[in-house]
Amino acid sequence: MAQASFEGVVKRFGAVEAVRDLTLEVRDGELMVLVGPSGSGKTTALRMLAGLEAVDAGRIEIGSRVVNDVSPRDRDVAMVFQDYALYPQMTVRDNMAFGLRRRGLERAEVDRRVAETCRTLGLDELLDRRPRQLSGGQQQRVALGRALVRRPQVLLMDEPLSNLDAQLRVQARGEIKRLQSEVGTTMVYVTHDQLEALTLGERIAVMNDGRLEQVGTPEELYERPANVFVGGFIGSPAMSFLPGDDGAVVGVRPEHVRPWAEGLVGPLAGRVAFVEALGRETLVGVDTDAGARLVAAVEGRADYTVGEPIRVGLVAEGMRRFGADGRPA
Amino acid sequence: MIDRREQVLAHVVLGLFALIALAPVAKIVVTALGEPGSFSTAWSDGHFGTYLRSSVLVAVAVVAISSVLSILAGYAFGLMRFRGDQLLFYVLLLGLMVPLEATIVPLYYDLRDLGLTDTYWALILPQAGVSVAFGTFWMRAFFRSVPRSLVEAARLDGASSWSTLWRVIFPLARPAVLTMVVLVFMWTWNEFLLALVMVSDEGLRTAPLGLAFFQGRNTTDEALLAAGALIVATPVVLVYLFLQRHFIRGMLSGAVKA
Repeated sequence: MAQASFEGVVKRFGAVEAVRDLTLEVRDGELMVLVGPSGSGKTTALRMLAGLEAVDAGRIEIGSRVVNDVSPRDRDVAMVFQDYALYPQMTVRDNMAFGLRRRGLERAEVDRRVAETCRTLGLDELLDRRPRQLSGGQQQRVALGRALVRRPQVLLMDEPLSNLDAQLRVQARGEIKRLQSEVGTTMVYVTHDQLEALTLGERIAVMNDGRLEQVGTPEELYERPANVFVGGFIGSPAMSFLPGDDGAVVGVRPEHVRPWAEGLVGPLAGRVAFVEALGRETLVGVDTDAGARLVAAVEGRADYTVGEPIRVGLVAEGMRRFGADGRPA
Repeated sequence: MIDRREQVLAHVVLGLFALIALAPVAKIVVTALGEPGSFSTAWSDGHFGTYLRSSVLVAVAVVAISSVLSILAGYAFGLMRFRGDQLLFYVLLLGLMVPLEATIVPLYYDLRDLGLTDTYWALILPQAGVSVAFGTFWMRAFFRSVPRSLVEAARLDGASSWSTLWRVIFPLARPAVLTMVVLVFMWTWNEFLLALVMVSDEGLRTAPLGLAFFQGRNTTDEALLAAGALIVATPVVLVYLFLQRHFIRGMLSGAVKA
């Protein structure tokens, strides 16, 4: 286990700056999630930490060692790939033992560690199967096992759940969280799914267009987004934005937009743009006469028809003001 | 879905072409078998035992040398980045594009200066050179089709380039390698011009060259000629049959990414 850090790290692909001046510290034993839309540089950052991409400027440290010029195999990191990258011709046992054998561990120790990791992950039954004979969920667990069995200083995961169906994904998410608290390995987890980030991360780093927009706990990101981008990216449905004065913007989350009542900020008049009944709540889209689109989360069922006039108000403490530069005003 | 009529039509067309391709072969087989004792006469009169031995020796050496070199070079070109890799690769491709006929004369003088004419090396080295050009091209295409993450996983697992190749990638390459082996074996076996120019010693003659001399001596005895042709062709057919399942798989995997 170790901490890992980026200091002013830059990565260019030709003329494109994939990662711009990234400074981020991952604490020892922490599960840090890098989240952002595709092309935001999160995977590139992870691959630089793994040593799979060279660093153009800045410094990457693992433990207290600068690893810019250390080859991937000497960094003592393990990675779970999006497509799992299991060795197809090897059994589950050999897949897991491969990395240990390359490091010259004794046979008995290799067997012991493989058995132990398999027990933790419930893979005992599958030891003699080949990847082809496993389901997607099983392959994912083997990939996780292959990384864990090495007891790396830092465990990297690149969208490890994106090939699973929704139900399995939720299950696997819980498992990763459980493992992380059990094993205590420092983990860096990349995903484009903000919900996954919110449920999984102790801290979350939001990236956009190669830049780090904000680092914080899920609550911090949700309650106090550092800018318009984070406000719009974190939370589903996203924060709605109303134009204010001088190019300033007011952001408000659906739970803070309500049908008009005394004590709210407003009223804002508009028409119903869409109605999504989700059971426990109903999302009502409102196009205000001023030209903004708000989303209101109304508890339970709500009877609205599209096009119907509506008046809504905002909960004052839920309103976030951003200046013209997109930063909190 | 292909309907029934189309299916029948396809079979008729395919059958017709198969017939056109197979008819001459069938005629040779029938002719050779028509005259009792034609095979044993051809075998002893034509010294095919000696020729086949030369051919096997040359073909096995060429296949062995070019396979090892092609796998290593294909791995480098397919999965590694190094200075001048593009340029080097195109230079290598020249070996595929320039016909042997264009270089055979200077090649003869070079090998003569080295004292290699009239040795097996004069047959093995040039053929291995040409085969490495093809083999590298072929293996590079295969290595490029291997998911990058597999190579990266091996690197993170602590494998060197060498053990990544032999323990992780090579086991997947078997169909591609076997296809290459069959093709190189076949081309080497059937090579005629090189043997004609480089060796005059009868003991070094390869089977196709021996067959040509044999046919020159026995222009009238068709059964004997046919028997000789079959003796020379058989080893390639055997190698092909032996490896055909892998061969077809390798050919297809080159064309369509699974």
